[in-house]
Amino acid sequence: MKEGERERGRRFDALYEAYSADVVAYCTWRADSPSDAQDAVADVFLTAWRRLDDLPGGDAARVWLYATARRTLANQRRSRRRRAALAERLSLAASTHEPSSDPGEYLVREALRRLGPLDREVLLLSEWEGLSPAQIASVLRCPKVTVRSRLHRARRRFRSAFERLAAAERAERRNCRASDAPATSVTHALGEDS
Amino acid sequence: MKTSESLEALRRANPRSQASFAQTVDAATAEVRLRIATAGATDEPRVRHVRPGRLLVGFFAAGVALATVAAVAVSVTVGSSGGTPGGTPGVENAAAAIKKAVTLSAVSAQQSGIVNVRMTHDGELWVSKVIRWNRDNVEISDHSPGGPSSGSPLLVINGMLYGHDPHYQGWVKVGPVSSIEPGSGTTPTEQLGAIREDVGGATLRRMVAAMTDLTTTHQSDASTIYSGAVAAGQIARKTGFKEGQAIRVLPFGYVAHGAAADPASLLHTAVTVGSNGVIREIAVTWGTWTYTVAYSDLGSTPPLVAPANAKSLRDVLPRATTSPPQ
Repeated sequence: MKEGERERGRRFDALYEAYSADVVAYCTWRADSPSDAQDAVADVFLTAWRRLDDLPGGDAARVWLYATARRTLANQRRSRRRRAALAERLSLAASTHEPSSDPGEYLVREALRRLGPLDREVLLLSEWEGLSPAQIASVLRCPKVTVRSRLHRARRRFRSAFERLAAAERAERRNCRASDAPATSVTHALGEDS
Repeated sequence: MKTSESLEALRRANPRSQASFAQTVDAATAEVRLRIATAGATDEPRVRHVRPGRLLVGFFAAGVALATVAAVAVSVTVGSSGGTPGGTPGVENAAAAIKKAVTLSAVSAQQSGIVNVRMTHDGELWVSKVIRWNRDNVEISDHSPGGPSSGSPLLVINGMLYGHDPHYQGWVKVGPVSSIEPGSGTTPTEQLGAIREDVGGATLRRMVAAMTDLTTTHQSDASTIYSGAVAAGQIARKTGFKEGQAIRVLPFGYVAHGAAADPASLLHTAVTVGSNGVIREIAVTWGTWTYTVAYSDLGSTPPLVAPANAKSLRDVLPRATTSPPQ
């Protein structure tokens, strides 16, 4: 391996070490299934590896990776839509995210689903990824002022949706005396894939 | 409710807070490494001078090493970059040996090979198929007990699909594979794509990279069995639902429910490497189910030829539809 290639490899290693968890976290929640998330992460870093020389340095690289991940996931969904039958089947797997032990997570997911896609993205880039409005603007390719107003609105809407869902859940708990359903045992059954 | 209460719940739901997040990152890392290695084999110029036995460190170096070995070929010792954490030298040697076998098998499988895929339940054969391929030509025969197409092979030669018609009792030229409606089921082209992924190394590399508790058993015929535990999600990544149950689509298209559907479920996996260093069999066991893929003639399977006496579908169809089923 030539010195130039070794240096390139070291840069990629450093990039991966620094930001792989960020990209995995970003793709995990947004992809339709865990395997799609893995595919997306692999695509993002393959792109990064190929375009390593064009990548900005420092924290801007992280923003670049988020923007690439966003496009990758969008492409993934577009390509899926083209294969309608398969898409229908796989969309069922969208619920394959691992259940959390935190009962509040269901409320969070539901409240997030009630936001518009851009509001949701702005909110998550801020709260989960810790990006500043300027960085979010770079990821979404929109003016910073738009991000600020969207972020304010998204927080408000999220809070409102979360509160409504939490209140509904509390009311349901009060009314419903039935105990939790026992865990069902899944029997092994096999058949050939269609 | 205060604003911070909802935002705190939101922050707690961050995927990074999940207990399995580290495992998810590891799985993604294996996939990235594989993808870069695979891309390296096609994008990069073939490196001719690789020092055998060199210990390669670092993510990138490991990826390039895999690609280089795949491109140049065979007698290169792959560094134990994916060694078991806290493992002994013996375990690391086993991990390196199994990776070498994967690479060697993948190189051989690029050209041709035969796989016999079987699933058994309580020791009884449940489904089985044999896939033979040579370059882009492929033959798939189903041998599942009582299966609707049991014993009737499908053949794809130079993009043309041939089927063996039980009524006509001969070969039928069904039509070009490209004319098959997308989404109408698993097409032969998709089957071939899956074969390339499953036999050509991607699936094997992913499984081997994820194997823990690796043990080695030397057999009297000079073959070696490497066994350990692999998360179901690393054995097969495709998931979905069938008849209301979560399923995992195993390599070569069979589906599994139950423990195998859970991506974190550790399944006992045994990889048998023959005395020639090529993988002979992979066996995955969960509960009362066993899934085996037996490889043979990797790289040395004779070319597949179109059946000489195949009739066109147009000629056969009226007869097939009017004659009573046998």
